[in-house]
Amino acid sequence: MTIREQPRQVLKRRASKRSDWKVALVFLLPLLVMYAIYYLYSIGFLASTSTTKVSVTFFNSIDVGWRNYAQLLTDPVFIRSMVNNILFACISIVAALTVAFFIATALATGVRAKRFFYLIFLLPALMPLSLVATIFGSMLTERTGILNQTLRAIGLGALAQPWLTQPGLAFAVVAVIFCYLIGLPIMYYTADLSALPTESLEAALLDGAGTFRIMRSIIYPMMRGTHITIILSLLLGSFRSLEVVLFSTRGGPGQSTEIVGSYIYGFATSGGPTIGFVSAVSIIVLVIALVLSIAQMVVTRPRKDMR
Amino acid sequence: MSVARGRVRPNRRTRRSRADNPMRGIVTGRADRITIYALLIVLAVLFAFPLYSAIVKSLEVNGIQNYISLFTDPVGDIPIWQTYLNSLAVGVVHATVVLTVSVTAGYAFSKLHFRGRELGFSAVLLFLAVPGIAILVPVYRITQELGLFNSYVGVGLPEAAITIPFGVLLMRNYGRNISDSLIEAANLDGAGHFRIFWNIFVPLSRPAIVNLTVLCFIWSLQDFLWPSFLFTNPSLTTAAQAVSTFSNALGRGAGDLARFNASLVVLAVPAVLFVVFGLRFIVNGLTTGSTKD
Repeated sequence: MTIREQPRQVLKRRASKRSDWKVALVFLLPLLVMYAIYYLYSIGFLASTSTTKVSVTFFNSIDVGWRNYAQLLTDPVFIRSMVNNILFACISIVAALTVAFFIATALATGVRAKRFFYLIFLLPALMPLSLVATIFGSMLTERTGILNQTLRAIGLGALAQPWLTQPGLAFAVVAVIFCYLIGLPIMYYTADLSALPTESLEAALLDGAGTFRIMRSIIYPMMRGTHITIILSLLLGSFRSLEVVLFSTRGGPGQSTEIVGSYIYGFATSGGPTIGFVSAVSIIVLVIALVLSIAQMVVTRPRKDMR
Repeated sequence: MSVARGRVRPNRRTRRSRADNPMRGIVTGRADRITIYALLIVLAVLFAFPLYSAIVKSLEVNGIQNYISLFTDPVGDIPIWQTYLNSLAVGVVHATVVLTVSVTAGYAFSKLHFRGRELGFSAVLLFLAVPGIAILVPVYRITQELGLFNSYVGVGLPEAAITIPFGVLLMRNYGRNISDSLIEAANLDGAGHFRIFWNIFVPLSRPAIVNLTVLCFIWSLQDFLWPSFLFTNPSLTTAAQAVSTFSNALGRGAGDLARFNASLVVLAVPAVLFVVFGLRFIVNGLTTGSTKD
């Protein structure tokens, strides 16, 4: 290639860049097929089914207009499960922003047996949720659960409680399970800590600040982006955690610990003509998920400019 | 120890801490170090207690025999190792579909230039947060139409649909870190996009591909929703479903409870193996995929 030819070559390449869309279409084809089936078709199907009364066979559907939505928005159990969902998410967010942050920071300071600690703290988040919730459920069973047995054995029998069958306690149990699953936030913090700028830490050290002061006043504010990622991911995760409730309290007692996922699951498995109703709930959950996704995009965008 | 050494030779500490771990320097006093250990140990005891309690329970009656009998005399007509194999088979489908879609789309969104690329990418990310339960009804319908009930593909596909937005995000983020100059050089040498994709992009993205694969297998192992609706044949029970199968098959007597807890412990083993052998991939995968930049 001679020197004179080079500009033309560059021009040609620029031109070819602009026409990449045909190639792009080929590379995006698998994605488009999956999205067309599982998202586009799904949303259309949900929208049309949500105005009908139909069973899971999809035969003999009766058009009921907006009645499913009306019934849904006036159902106290639905409202309750929505509120619970958000409450559990908020509780796990508080745990993540405090406990998970502490665990990640403490483990990053070069403690011994780091791998062992990681194993213990991250394991719950990597086990099937159904398994974690079942273990909690079996541990807290009133008569045979190990917690009450232990309390009785050490003479604190008076503290033994019907953990899963008294509304307030059952709520607390589900909240504890949500807090138990903070492995993901620990991972996010750990990753962000490894990219921490050293200068401010050293300045603080020169000022003679103590460990916990540095954690709280220097490192914590620097993790703003990670805090936001964690808040949004836990909020979204709470809609995916139906097993937590299903396998511990089964939504009880009296549907007081129901979350949106277990609410839908209950109707979907009831076997009656409830599929239209389930579709209406699904549409509402989808709208929430899409809004949160947009929020995430908007919030994480300025971060890109900052860095 | 390192703290003491740091005190004697402050210069060396600063250099060391910069080089390997800046965080090491923040624990300045002995009291702080002890407090950190104490808090970590208390938390670790709390976190380990549930699994510990399951182990204790499982040995209460009949001891280790409960574990042996899980393999010699299956509970609820399904051998426990079969549930692992079922999860694994679903995981293979899940990973294959996710990789095919995400690596190709990741290439398009990071290395090709076309109008509306960023908009298209944002549209893909819009579905990052969709919970499986929200598309339960249409997926049931799609599975019905395609005749995919009781097949690994039938469960692997919707799992993949849920994972794909994340997979595309991961591959595109990783792809953006691959230098364009390599691709331009190959382009100048006359290599087409398909050769560049296969001979340059795929090999260079190997770390991200490995991370994504490990995550797909973990998520298949954890998934309860899709198998519970799309598998009706008990012999297809996956590991996440097995919990309820065993719970239904066993009674509430002390012996059965011990056996049930033994099965819970055994079901936790794959997760332990994942953490012990694959933690690096999991953490890298989840964290590179978490941000949009």
